[in-house]
Amino acid sequence: MATLMQQAFRRKPVMAMADETGADREGGGELARTIGLFQLSMIGIGATIGTGIFFVMSEAVPAAGPAVIWSFVIAGVVAGLTAVCYAELASAVPVSGSSYSYAYATLGEVVAMGVAACLLLEYGVSSAAVAVGWSQYLNALLGNLFGIAIPEALSNAPEQGGVINLPAVVLVALCAMLLIRGASESARVNAIMVLIKLGVLVLFIVVGAFGWNSDNLADFAPYGITGVTGAAGLIFFSYIGLDAVSTAGEEVKNPRRTMPLAILIALATVTLVYVLVAIVAVAAQPTAQFEGQEAGLAAILEQVTGATWPGTILAAGAVISIFSVTLVTIYGQTRILFAIGRDGMLPEFFHTVNPRTRTPVRNTILVAIVVALLAGLIPIDFLAEMTSIGTLVAFLVVSIGVMVLRRTAPDLPRGFKVPGYPVTPILSVLGCIWIIVGLDWITIVVFVIWVAVVLVWYFSYGIRHSHLGDSGITSKDLT
Amino acid sequence: MTVVIGLPRDERATAAVHLGSLFARSLGENVVVCTVVPQPWPAGLARIDAEYQDFLVQDADAALARARELQPDDVAAEYVVVHARSASAGLLEVAERHSARLIALGSSTAGVLGRVAFGSVAERLLHSSPLPVALAPRGFRCRPVDRITELTAAYGATEGADQLVIAVAGIAARFGAALRIASFAVRPRTPLTAGVGSRAEDAVLQVWAAEIERAQQEVLAEVKRLPHPPDTVPPVIGHGHEWAESLENIGWDDGSVLAVGSSAAGPLERVFIGSRSSKIVRHSPVPVVVLPRSAAEALAERAETP
Repeated sequence: MATLMQQAFRRKPVMAMADETGADREGGGELARTIGLFQLSMIGIGATIGTGIFFVMSEAVPAAGPAVIWSFVIAGVVAGLTAVCYAELASAVPVSGSSYSYAYATLGEVVAMGVAACLLLEYGVSSAAVAVGWSQYLNALLGNLFGIAIPEALSNAPEQGGVINLPAVVLVALCAMLLIRGASESARVNAIMVLIKLGVLVLFIVVGAFGWNSDNLADFAPYGITGVTGAAGLIFFSYIGLDAVSTAGEEVKNPRRTMPLAILIALATVTLVYVLVAIVAVAAQPTAQFEGQEAGLAAILEQVTGATWPGTILAAGAVISIFSVTLVTIYGQTRILFAIGRDGMLPEFFHTVNPRTRTPVRNTILVAIVVALLAGLIPIDFLAEMTSIGTLVAFLVVSIGVMVLRRTAPDLPRGFKVPGYPVTPILSVLGCIWIIVGLDWITIVVFVIWVAVVLVWYFSYGIRHSHLGDSGITSKDLT
Repeated sequence: MTVVIGLPRDERATAAVHLGSLFARSLGENVVVCTVVPQPWPAGLARIDAEYQDFLVQDADAALARARELQPDDVAAEYVVVHARSASAGLLEVAERHSARLIALGSSTAGVLGRVAFGSVAERLLHSSPLPVALAPRGFRCRPVDRITELTAAYGATEGADQLVIAVAGIAARFGAALRIASFAVRPRTPLTAGVGSRAEDAVLQVWAAEIERAQQEVLAEVKRLPHPPDTVPPVIGHGHEWAESLENIGWDDGSVLAVGSSAAGPLERVFIGSRSSKIVRHSPVPVVVLPRSAAEALAERAETP
C-alpha cells in the first residue's frame, strides 16, 4: 500500500496521456507541424487581447493614477517570463494539454489539482469577467445606435445597485449553446478577430490622442509604487492567454526557435498596444473620471471627439471580438474539467459525451450555469482580481516546476529550454509573488479558501477515485 | 416489387442503370427504367407546345433506347415515359404504380468522379421520398454479374439508429450480403487560442468512440439474435480529420454499398436527410442507399418476424 504522500505525488505516465487522446492511434498520430512563426504569434495575440484591455482601465486607473502605464509594463514583463517557463514545461511533455496535464505528468497529482483550482479561476471566472465587460459595450452600442438602454437593474451586479447583469448571462448562454452544437474557433476566425481587436484599439489610440492634455498627467503616481503593483495585479488579467502559445508546441515548426520568438512578438505587440492605450486614456481624462466608468474606451472617445461614431465603432468591435473571447474561454474551461473527470478526480458527469452532438453537453451546461451566475451577480473588479490571482499562482507553480524538473529529471528531453536558466524562472517566481502581494487582501483570502476547498475535495474524493490509483501506479519516473 | 431507375438523359445514365440493376439482381427482381417529361400545358394553348411535347417524348424515347443497350441481359426491364410536374414527382408516381422498393439515381455531373453528388432530383427525393433512395457515385460501373456482397450501415448511436441497423441486417440477409456496422469519428480541431493544447477535442472524441464501440457491439448482438441473421463482419470506426478521410479509413470492397438513415428531425414517413448523413453520403466512395425512417421501421419489423 502506497503512502499518502506517494499517492498524492503520483505522476501520470505520458503513454497514458497519449493513449487517451488517441495520439498513437490510426489517423491521430503525430500532428503535422504546420504552424509557423507568424501564425503562432497571431495565436498569442488573439488569445491575449480582448480579455481585459477593454474594461480594466476603470478599475486600474483609480488604483494607480497615470502611473498605470508602468503597471501594464510590469504585468507584461511578468507574463512574458511565466510564458517562457510554461513553454519549457509544456515541451517536457510530448503530448499537448493544459497546465493541468503538464503538472500531472511532471509534478504529481496533488500539484495538478492545485493548478486545476487556479485554472478554474483563469478560465471560469475570467469568462464571467469578460462577459460582464461585454455587457458594458453592448449597452454602449445599443445606446448609441438605437437610443435604447438596458435598465440599470438588469445590467448591473447586486453590489452595484442592480439585480442581475442580464446581457452577460445571455452571452454565456449563447456561448454554451454554440459549444454544445460543437463550435470552435479556427485559425482564420482568430486572424479576423485579431484584426478587429487591433483595429479598434488603434482607432482608440489615434483618435484618443487628439484629447491629449498634459495636465492629466501632472499627478503621475498619486499612490506610489503600491498603487502601481496593485493595479498590475488587476491588469495581469489582460495578459492571460499568452500561454496559449506554449500549449501549441506540438504543431509548431521548429519549436526551439519559433516558440520563444512567438512569445516575444506576441508579448511585445500586446504590451505596446496596451501601453499606448493606457497613455492615451490617462492623458485624455483626469484620474477621477475613470472610477466606475462603463465601456470605458468608448466613453473616452466620445468625450474627446464630442461625437458618438468613434465610440460606436469601438463598441461594435468590442462586442464582436469579446464574444469570441468568451466562447473560447468557456470552451477551455469545459475541456479542462473534462480532462480532470477523465482522470477520475471529478465524477463521470464531467466526461460524458453526448452521442448526438459529440460534445460534453452536461459539463458545458454546468460550466455555463456557474459562469452565468458569477457574471450576473459579482462585480467585475472582484472577478478580475480573482482571475489574476488564479493565473499568477498557476504560473508560479509552473515556474517552480521548471526548476524542480531540472533537478529531478535533468535528462528528460525538452523541446524547448528556458533561456537564462536559472535567472528567468526565479525572476518569474519573484514577479508573480510581487504582483500577488499587491492584490486586495480579500482576494487572497478568498483564493486561499478556494484552493483549500479543492484540496479537501481532492483528499476526500479525488485521491481515491483517481484512475492512476486503479492501475496501481504510484510515483514513478517518467518514461 | 421492383426497382425504379430514374434515367438521366446524358452520360450519367450508365451509372444509374448499373446501380439499379445491381440492386435488382441482388434482390432477384426486375427494374423499371423511367424518364420524366414535363406535363403538357392545358389544351387550347398554342400548337407549338404540342410540337415541343413531341420533341420531348422523342427525346425520352431515344434515351430509353440507349438505356436498353446499357441494360444487362439477366435483369428484366420495363421502360416507361411519364408526364409529371417534376422529375421527382414523376419518379414517385411510377414507383407507386409498380409498388417499387427502391429508387435508383445517378450523381450530378457537378460532383467529383467516384463520389456521390446530389443532383436536383436526388436533393428533392432525399427530402420527400417514402421509399429508400439509392445513389450511384459519379462514374459508377459494375460488371453484369456483380451482386452486393457487403452492406455497411452507418451507425450514429442516436434515436432510430438501432432500427436502421436491424433494417439493413434484414436487407443484407435477403441479398446474401455481409453486414458491417460503421461509425465515423471526425476529429474536430481544437481552438489553439484556448490554451488547452492541440488534442483536447481528440480526447472528447475518444470518449465518444469508446461509447459508440459499446453501442455497436450491443446492436450487433441484437442482429445475431434475428431469426434470419446475415453474415456479419466486425464493426468499425473510421477515424479522420475530415469526413472523406474517416470514410476512406474503414476500407471498401467492390461489392460494398453504404446504408444511411434519414434524420430524426424530418417527417416520420419520408426520407429527410440530416446534415451528418448528408456529409457521409457526399464522401462515400461506394453507392449509397438512404432509408426513410418509416421504411426502416417496416424493414426492421420484417427482419424481426421469423
